[in-house]
Formats: sequence, structure tokens, C-alpha cells
Amino acid sequence: MDDLVIRSVSRLVVPFIQLYGFYVIFYGHLSPGGGFAGGAIVASSMILYGLSFNLEAGSRKLGHDISSLMESGGAIWFLMIGLIGILFGSNFLANRFAGVSLGTPGQLFSGGIIFFLSLGIGVKVASTMITLFYSLSGGEDNSGTNS
Amino acid sequence: MEASPLVGVGILLLIAYVFFYLPRSQIRNLLVIVILFMIGYALVVTVAEMPVFGSANAPAYNHVAERYIEGAVAETGAINVIAAIIMDYRAFDTLGEATVLFVAIAAAIASLKAH
Repeated sequence: MDDLVIRSVSRLVVPFIQLYGFYVIFYGHLSPGGGFAGGAIVASSMILYGLSFNLEAGSRKLGHDISSLMESGGAIWFLMIGLIGILFGSNFLANRFAGVSLGTPGQLFSGGIIFFLSLGIGVKVASTMITLFYSLSGGEDNSGTNS
Repeated sequence: MEASPLVGVGILLLIAYVFFYLPRSQIRNLLVIVILFMIGYALVVTVAEMPVFGSANAPAYNHVAERYIEGAVAETGAINVIAAIIMDYRAFDTLGEATVLFVAIAAAIASLKAH
């Protein structure tokens, strides 16, 4: 699909979609949203980019290596945050009982590990959706082994 | 509905007999219709016995929900109670969901790159 209107509009809209997605991820413990919804919004911006330009340009923007790094990194980040609870002598994924400072409710950096957990979930959901889209649409056939 | 287990087993045997052993005939068709009406009646009765939507006496509204609503801000520091539940109280469940995502993407890539 090579249309001037769609390309111009999507070039304008993509940064705002990504900003909104990051807002939904970071303010997940204060307003409706969270890691899953925000990650899906961020991924939808990259999917819009890949649809309005061509798929090769989209997969050059966010290659397979970076995407798989985000995918694995999100899961490992979640586990590491969970292990903090054990490190401080409590249960896995413990928040208040591990002695993490909860902060003032309503501030951005409050809620202990909730902020960091939803960040990891957001990264993971975004990379999952992007990788699935580019894998299923065949946008990165030449990046792997040439079989 | 107070049906003894023996009645249930009898109905199951009747269904198995009708569906697997009876030859195709008018009687079989009639019995199939009767059995389907019985199953539909049981499902409708089950739905009718469920609590009304939003009723305060529903089994889902127990002390767990009250604990979440009353103590979430003090116990987790998050204003959004949903985030407090999925990232703090049920964080292990969220880890399972992340694992589901990981397995899904691994299976998709493995089956797409294989050929």
C-alpha cells in the first residue's frame, strides 16, 4: 500500500500513539490501563507504521534481534523484580512485606514494585504483538536463515 | 433441583444407548428431540438459579472483594485497584500470563521459521 495521504497521516500520528501508550503503561497504577493495554497501544503504533509504509521499512525500524531482546528482557525483568521479594526475606513477588517503600498514593512513583512490573509487562506485550504481526505477514523472511 | 446421582447415570446411559446403538428410525429421531429438550431444560434451570446480575448476595461478592476494595490503597499504594490486584495480589497469575505470551510467540516463530 503506497498512498501519500496514509503515509503522511500515519507519520504524524505514530508518535502520539506511542506517547499515549507509554502514558497508559506508566500511569497504570493511577488510572485505568496498565501493562497489557499500554503495550498493545505501543505495538499498534508500530503495526500502523508497517501497514502504511511497507513491511520491510517497519521491520528495519524494529528488527528481529531487538524485538526478541525486548521479549526475553520483559520476562526476565518481571522475574528479577519478583526475586527482590525473596532477596529481602519475603515471598516471591512480595511488595509491602518485602519492605519496598510504597510512597504516597497518587504520586507517579508509588505502589512499590507495581510500576516496574507493569513496565516489564508493557514491553513484553508490545514486542509480542509486533513480532507476531511481522512474523505472520512475512515481513522479515530474509533476516533469519536463508532456507 | 435435587436429582440423585442414580438418575443422572440413568439419563447418561439412555443418551448413550440412543446415540450409539439405536438404528436410524422415527423413534430414534423422536428420542433425540426429547433428550435435547431435557438438556436444554437442565441448562435453563441452571441459569435461572444463578444470582441476579449485580445482586449483593452473589457468591462472588465475598470477603476477598471487600478486602481488595477497602485495603488495596493502604496495602499496595496503588490507587487503581485493578492494577493492585493484577500486579500485587495476583502477580503470580500475571507471571503465568506473561509465560503464555512467551510460549505463544515462541511457538509461532518456531513453526513459521521451520520452513
